[in-house]
Amino acid sequence: MSDEKILSVTELTKQIKGVLELGFTNIWIQGEISNFKLHSSGHIYFTLKDASSQISAVMWRSRAAQLIFRPNDGMKVMVRGNITVYEPRGNYQIDCFQLQPLGKGELQQAFEQLKQKLFEEGLFEEENKKSLPVFPQKIGIVTSPTGAAIRDILSVLSRRFPSIEVILVPVKVQGIGAAEEIAEAIADLNRQKLVDVMIIGRGGGSLEDLWAFNEEIVARAVFASTIPIISAVGHEIDFSISDFVADLRAPTPSAAAELVVKDKNEVVELIRNFCYTMNNSMINSFEAYKNTVSNLTQSYSFNKPHDMLRQRSQQIDELQNRLTRNMLHSFSMTKQRTQFLSSRIKTTNPKSILKRGFAIVRQDESIISSVKKSISAKPATIEFHDGIIDAEILRKRK
Amino acid sequence: MSKKETKNTFEHSLNRLEKIVTSLEEGEVSLEESLKMYEEGIQLSKECIETLNKAELKIKQLTKDLNGKLQLTDFEE
Repeated sequence: MSDEKILSVTELTKQIKGVLELGFTNIWIQGEISNFKLHSSGHIYFTLKDASSQISAVMWRSRAAQLIFRPNDGMKVMVRGNITVYEPRGNYQIDCFQLQPLGKGELQQAFEQLKQKLFEEGLFEEENKKSLPVFPQKIGIVTSPTGAAIRDILSVLSRRFPSIEVILVPVKVQGIGAAEEIAEAIADLNRQKLVDVMIIGRGGGSLEDLWAFNEEIVARAVFASTIPIISAVGHEIDFSISDFVADLRAPTPSAAAELVVKDKNEVVELIRNFCYTMNNSMINSFEAYKNTVSNLTQSYSFNKPHDMLRQRSQQIDELQNRLTRNMLHSFSMTKQRTQFLSSRIKTTNPKSILKRGFAIVRQDESIISSVKKSISAKPATIEFHDGIIDAEILRKRK
Repeated sequence: MSKKETKNTFEHSLNRLEKIVTSLEEGEVSLEESLKMYEEGIQLSKECIETLNKAELKIKQLTKDLNGKLQLTDFEE
């Protein structure tokens, strides 16, 4: 026993470390993820297990940031890495520098599962979708500041409708943490109320590249946004969860830019048409007013005063005529009557009676019309039609 | 405050213009009123076209500083 070398724990651990770390480099293992933890430092920790064994796993921040999808508990994955020994605890673990889903089916399945879940929750309902502003003044863009998407979007916007402001929120669009950044950017734009509408998206890539837009956290942020969102992820054929939740899906980022603003020339044309219509309307309405005025001046009512005047003067003329006629009439009547009277007067002329044998007796120039009035013994005259006799009253008889 | 004012000036102007055009087209306004509206409409259309023609795309970016405070800066492509 005394010949045998007694190792300190540290010495042993160092030896184990040497054996393990040299013996297991760059190995692939497959298993199911459990106890997944993304530490605030950016490192990720999880356990890889199968039916009967397990091994601790770690992926340092620099590598984790390159991840193309978000690992979850229960996900079957392949990892590549080195076995390392953590001396303070005497633990061994695998230090992963590559982590990928075990076949495409895994991601596809995760996609379908989340899609189904969110569909059932009503996140895709048409009635929850907001309409886009017709003329947005400020457009938010949540994408990578260096990707193809931002270049495409800016080029379309400046060509079509440059009188707007773009607010880019630069985010990572792939790798671990990308989904969180995208979701936070959406929330920031909502909090700041800086924009009328936003485009979230990225250029084309593999399913893994586009994975951030299939994450639940992004879907929830899109759904919670009070600002309308256009989702434009990858190419025409790529559908992401964010496409389903967004208010509008654009097949590509360029298409999103075309959907979000009208073409400037179309708007100018629209305004020209407005001017044309206005001019025509004014001309028409002037014509209409002119017609109305001329109709009015020719109308009976408008001419009534003249008409009344004319009627009155006609009336006056008529009255005058009648007056003249009446006067003439009455004149001739008077004339007739005068003639009649004068002829009657002629017949009553006492002289003509005298011719018939009567005579007028006078005494002192007074006509003696009765015996009583006569005065005896006084000279009298008797007038005949052809002369006068001087007489004397001899005797009165009755 | 001024944000709200400038925010939808263009859309507001264009909407107003469209309203004027519709009113004039329907011809249900008085002559005096329609003359006023016509003048306003022509003015609005000038302004809108001017806005469209003189503009160039303004690009800013929203980032967080070290304290997590959001800030708007010009974006250099």
